[in-house]
Amino acid sequence: MIPEPRIQSPPDGGAIDAAAVARTQFVVLGAGGLGCPALLGLVAAGARRVTLVDDDVVDASNLQRQVLYETADVGMAKTLAAESQLRLRARDLRLTQVRRRLDARGLAELLEDVDPAATVLLECSDDPGLKFAANDLGLARGIPTVIAGVQRWRGQIIAVVRGAACYRCLYEAPPPAELAPACSAVGIIGAAAGLFGHWMALLAVRLASARADVRGELAGSLHALDLRDMRVQTLRPRPRPGCPACAGEGPELDVSTARCAAR
Amino acid sequence: MATVRIPTPLRKYTQGQEEVTVDGGTVRELLANLEQSSPGIRERICDDAGNVRRFVNIFVGDEDIRYLDNLNTAVKPDSEISIIPAIAGGHTA
Repeated sequence: MIPEPRIQSPPDGGAIDAAAVARTQFVVLGAGGLGCPALLGLVAAGARRVTLVDDDVVDASNLQRQVLYETADVGMAKTLAAESQLRLRARDLRLTQVRRRLDARGLAELLEDVDPAATVLLECSDDPGLKFAANDLGLARGIPTVIAGVQRWRGQIIAVVRGAACYRCLYEAPPPAELAPACSAVGIIGAAAGLFGHWMALLAVRLASARADVRGELAGSLHALDLRDMRVQTLRPRPRPGCPACAGEGPELDVSTARCAAR
Repeated sequence: MATVRIPTPLRKYTQGQEEVTVDGGTVRELLANLEQSSPGIRERICDDAGNVRRFVNIFVGDEDIRYLDNLNTAVKPDSEISIIPAIAGGHTA
């Protein structure tokens, strides 16, 4: 008989509520360098309801950091390969594959029917505009959201909930394409992506476990870490007066994410 | 002189240095002097009008200069200035 993995609560108790994690819908945008370790961390912590969004197929160049995939998966849809791997760890996982590249409108449609009280959004994509759209829609819909980015040796991560400073309080708009090179152009250390992906999972399960009135304690700080000198900078911005995302306005939906986020 | 922490994408302007020391009584003066020693770096931080770009934040110690006096924020010789641009990457296709 194949044993079921057992989910153990940490000895300090309280920080992670396995039952709450199991009933939360985790919506993961991107099954790449951040998404793969985030998914491993989520499922290991007891997540059993996952929506995974990615339109890409596995490429051999992905394997050094996209740790859910192996050489036999090359050419396979990432959502399918990821589900196959994760089911080896949790046979009762209910994973919904969404094979499309999202813009702000697509994300709005995806989140239309979810229960904000039982959903956590993880933005793991390489699209700067989608990070801002996730921030804006998460706040507008009241869905706790974790946003991270990683390049080379460094990364950033922030949890966003209503009432705390958000990603758009800190950064008003994404960098233009010419100043935001793709990871494929600048390189990424696989273990750096792994660290930030698992960090995202940790924040996400803590958000799922926390009562709504204390989620703010987990949010509003941007942690920036450069793994070459192991220096963590924690920035605690104040909510920015006039921030449209904090006002719940959501993103503009009739333009590309890059433009909508650049308002 | 104040210490400026240089983020990875801008280190090509500082010969790879992670930290540089720069004179200046305000953030504006400091950026001007930084441009002298590291030509080209200021336009990555400020737009054509001289304002800090919307995807970049500058902190003096732990304080965001937008909540102080912006580019006129005072800098002391023992101040540490951090330039924190948004990092977009994650999923590499």
